[in-house]
Amino acid sequence: MHNMIGKKVPRIDSYEKVTGKAIYGDDINLHGMHYAANRYTDIPVGKIKSIDFTKAEKMDGVSAIVFYKDIPGQKRIGPIRQDHFVFVNDEVFYTGDVIAVVAAKTKEQAYAAADAIEIEYEPIEGIFDPAEAIKPDARLIHPDFKSNIVNHYPLIKGDIEKGFEQSEQVIEREFRTGFHEHAYIEPETVTAAPDPTTKGFKIYGSIQNPFTTRRMVAAFMGVDLNMVNVFSSTLGGSFGGKDDIINCMACRVALLSEMTGKPVKLTYTREESIKESYKRHPYILQYKVGFNNEGKLKAMKINIIADSGAYSSQSFFVTWRSVVQATGPYEVENVQTDIRSVYTNNPYTAAFRGFGSPQIIFAQESLMDEIAALCNITPLEIRRLNGFKQDSVTASGQKLSEHTVSLQEVIDKSLESSGYLKKLEDYKKLNENSTRYKYGIGLACSYRGCSLGAEGVDATSAIVSVQGDGSVYVLAGLNENGQGMRTTFCQIAAEMLGINLEKIIFLEPQTATIPDGGPTVASRATLTGGNAIIDAAQKIKNTIFEVIKNELNVTSIEETVWANGLISVKETEECLRSIPFEKAVEKSFKAGVNLSSYGWFKAPDVGWVEETGQGNAYFTYVYGCQIAEIKVDTSTGKIDVMKITAAHDVGKVINRLGIEGQVYGGVAQGIGYAILEDFNVQNGIVKSPNLDEYLVPTIKDIHKIEPILIENPDKYGPFGAKCIGEPTLELASAAINNAMKFAVGKYFYQIPLTLERVYLGKNLIKPSRQSEAGLNIKARKQGPRISGITMVTPKNLKKALALVSEDYKIISGGTDVIIELRKCKESSKLLNISQLEELKKIKKSKNEIFIGSAASITSIVSHKAIQKHFPLLIKTCSLIGSKQIRNRATLGGNIVNAAPCADSIPPLILYDAKVLLQSKNGNREILIKDFVLGNYKTQINAEEIMTAVIIPLPQQKYYHSYYQLGRRNAVNITRMSVGAMIAFDFNKMVTDCRIVAGSLFDRSQRIYEIEELFTGKKLTEELINNIEEPLLKIIDNAIGKRWSSEYKTPVFINLCKDVLREIKEKLEIRN
Amino acid sequence: MAEITLTVNNKIHQIEVDDSWRLIDVLREQLGLTGTKEGCGIGECGACTVIMNGEAVCSCLILAGQLKDAKIETIENIEKDHLLSRLQQMFVEHGAIQCGFCTPGMLMSAKALLDKNPNPEEDEIKEALEGNLCRCTGYIPIVNAVKAVNVSG
Repeated sequence: MHNMIGKKVPRIDSYEKVTGKAIYGDDINLHGMHYAANRYTDIPVGKIKSIDFTKAEKMDGVSAIVFYKDIPGQKRIGPIRQDHFVFVNDEVFYTGDVIAVVAAKTKEQAYAAADAIEIEYEPIEGIFDPAEAIKPDARLIHPDFKSNIVNHYPLIKGDIEKGFEQSEQVIEREFRTGFHEHAYIEPETVTAAPDPTTKGFKIYGSIQNPFTTRRMVAAFMGVDLNMVNVFSSTLGGSFGGKDDIINCMACRVALLSEMTGKPVKLTYTREESIKESYKRHPYILQYKVGFNNEGKLKAMKINIIADSGAYSSQSFFVTWRSVVQATGPYEVENVQTDIRSVYTNNPYTAAFRGFGSPQIIFAQESLMDEIAALCNITPLEIRRLNGFKQDSVTASGQKLSEHTVSLQEVIDKSLESSGYLKKLEDYKKLNENSTRYKYGIGLACSYRGCSLGAEGVDATSAIVSVQGDGSVYVLAGLNENGQGMRTTFCQIAAEMLGINLEKIIFLEPQTATIPDGGPTVASRATLTGGNAIIDAAQKIKNTIFEVIKNELNVTSIEETVWANGLISVKETEECLRSIPFEKAVEKSFKAGVNLSSYGWFKAPDVGWVEETGQGNAYFTYVYGCQIAEIKVDTSTGKIDVMKITAAHDVGKVINRLGIEGQVYGGVAQGIGYAILEDFNVQNGIVKSPNLDEYLVPTIKDIHKIEPILIENPDKYGPFGAKCIGEPTLELASAAINNAMKFAVGKYFYQIPLTLERVYLGKNLIKPSRQSEAGLNIKARKQGPRISGITMVTPKNLKKALALVSEDYKIISGGTDVIIELRKCKESSKLLNISQLEELKKIKKSKNEIFIGSAASITSIVSHKAIQKHFPLLIKTCSLIGSKQIRNRATLGGNIVNAAPCADSIPPLILYDAKVLLQSKNGNREILIKDFVLGNYKTQINAEEIMTAVIIPLPQQKYYHSYYQLGRRNAVNITRMSVGAMIAFDFNKMVTDCRIVAGSLFDRSQRIYEIEELFTGKKLTEELINNIEEPLLKIIDNAIGKRWSSEYKTPVFINLCKDVLREIKEKLEIRN
Repeated sequence: MAEITLTVNNKIHQIEVDDSWRLIDVLREQLGLTGTKEGCGIGECGACTVIMNGEAVCSCLILAGQLKDAKIETIENIEKDHLLSRLQQMFVEHGAIQCGFCTPGMLMSAKALLDKNPNPEEDEIKEALEGNLCRCTGYIPIVNAVKAVNVSG
């Protein structure tokens, strides 16, 4: 019986995190601190011809500028191979390379100086396709390493050719996965301060692996390890991501702090983060599988190319995990796997939660369903037939006999809990009766080696220190990344010592005070660090026991129970034979014994033969199964993941609250990876530079997740615990893909399953030319930020009208303007009208509603009269941005900005709205359909302010329908929209039909030719279907040549029919 | 530069601000209120959410010059007399926090909702929090925490 283990324990760092008191890296402000800014390369690939610091050096506040030639120690760093340029020298390898870094008194001064560094280049044609890079005649990205192939791991088991000969069926499939951005909410930040005591540095920041950072900084600065003390601040998410990039940043600020003698902080914007940081490796996976007609696997030949990008980083280890697990949790007698990671000029790739497993699981688990179908057996049967059982032998020849092989158990429990078998029938029936929406259910399972395996030395450290009053410090050589490790470790210490959690404080770690515990990666913290805590605590218990054993009248510690703050003798009256922990501690201190202890854990030995890929790769494994239930909109290709049931064998639950949190979070990331997260880099340039284009799931994209925790204690784990962090992420994409087959009857071979991929079977990407790389260098800013602003705020409209001119940009809610200002290099004068109350009024008169242009979207959406008369305006405005955006954004701003995706414009066109433009010379009104001329173009003059929108009240009853297509369920840039309103006479004949298209043509507009088809007629299914041909012609003429038309044209036609059908149904219900 | 008067957490401040500064810069750099976090700078992640004149807003999308007479409430103001509010307590108990970087913004969005609507339905909670990205928790514990605030017991 445990007192602490297995309970739902709130995080011990909760208090500081819910009060805003937790200190994250950017919250650190040291006395006299300067700020740093990177000077990034302007082009992704090329030779540097010259660098000119003259202008930058003379700028206000600049205290130092450093570059390649200033590096005192090792020029290039890297966790395994030293190929990473902290500063590039004479050549740039990818878009995130840094040429120099500036320190200045303020952040703005640092950025301004970085902008002023002038660099000339000679572009080189980049290699962005790993399949090209691997060709023998390809240009070498790093000639000093002799090959673009970073590493090649083979695995050979049995006789692959014989295996195929014995097979009755052989199939070959190719799968692809994309880059995947960590998108931790906290961008990277590091501060370095000179340390006069060590003559080295103190380093603070969002650091995932303090010991790695220390090693890199020491090498780069040419100092000893004991001269660099690294403190990890509260970390705002990492997921494997705050390692190499942080080390580079730490090197840069360490050098700057040496040059300036001051603390220097470098904090990234999101754009800098996304540009420079590493991603998950894209994989190209070729599987050739042989099996007999019953579905028994006979042979698997796997060839994988991983895109390592510009540097090798963790590619060695990431691909090693892949080669171990590439056949999945299945017995296959004959295997040949080859995996190669390859240099390209793309952003480099490294560790990301899952670490080489999500890619292979997507491929191999999708494949299992396809093989099952070919053999006419179910996805369950094929997994039962081939799945690992106790003592099965893996592809690397490891016999799974040292732990409980629970593959079947995780499958069974997830089936039972999700009601899988019944749902197969339910969804089948649902699909028979549904044309637009199709439902699907699919599963995927996996096995995963825990901790580092044969990657390297797998040992870790902890300190438990009992104070004179019985309170306790815990320190660990591993790092809290936000996952809850500190809480888990304190629970383990509390369980061991039999005391309350409140008695324990987890000390802020620093590399100077604890032995190197290795990196916090590979879901190894609980497993290895937990054991180190147990080791330390056990030593202390033994010491205390020696002091009190006579008093308790026992000879062995096994006769005692340590719980609830008491040390008691087993099976006796507690009050008679027990000592309070505090008392025992007091006695121990008086006896002069040491109650501080180092704990150490070294993982059991594993082994690997590189040439054959054989060996006991990991000392234990976990098993998981996830079932996805999805809904697919066949009109658009949009997937909604309704539920994921996630069953995982975790060995033993330490903190139920923490472990459920790991499941929810990992699954949510897995869903993003599967359907949303499309990191767009073309010709080496990042096209999704911020979170408006790199889309992670919002709260509306995650529906139900059901964690099922299975406990088969592991003999090596602390209290039997194994790992959970990564297995949760690796399964969703395959499960969703298998559910897609159920829903739409098609196999997909590539993720993410974007709208276009689902609808067309391929992704559409806006074309960009390699020559684009050199364009607009001068216009770019280092670090998007707002600078050079002067603002005037007139007291009333009259004063505003007197001022408005070409000199000013008008700002109201600012939700569009400020985003543009961040990118703008020139200074701007703003005319702030956000506080003119006279522009915020909403008034209803007999014939119209008058909406002041500065009325917030929120005030419009909640206005009763607008709700009553203009439901389509309510509907589209509710979909603008987020709650926060709607609270600030104004109707006038949305219209004047005239983005093609502006959500308020299409319904206003339908309602024949007018805009009121005022200037000091007079007023004019223009119909909104005429006001907007095209993308970001309107009829407004520089002397005018749009002061109101006037919408005439409809004179008859209309039926409405609207559909706005976004890639996710909230905070979208509208991909396309269609709205319709139709009035009928008493014979149900159409008297007025209005249809509007948004984000389709050059501007939002009505489609009169289609509207006319319905006038005077009954709205029938036949008539609706008849729009296809004329609508196709109209769209084709207008946008047929655009890159996106292949998707937009058919989908718009679908949506147009869907909204008309909805009106038809509404009419039928009404009558 | 402009001089503005604004109220932050019930305290009136009369300050000089640079026209290029945003509300988040005023809070973090000038007033030392570092509880409010910056995650994207373009209003997509919601980490910088504060309550302004009763409404949740992204403090990265408001310029300092637009703050005249504004009433701002930040994460530092939710705890009263060293006692966590019920909303904060529910975040703690339901595991609605992991790395905690989105938490201040998440709490401010939730508070703005609850101030107006003490018993929100699940879809209203999701509506209020749609502009707050969280990469750790999968959102489910956050929804549960907000739901639990005004459930008795």
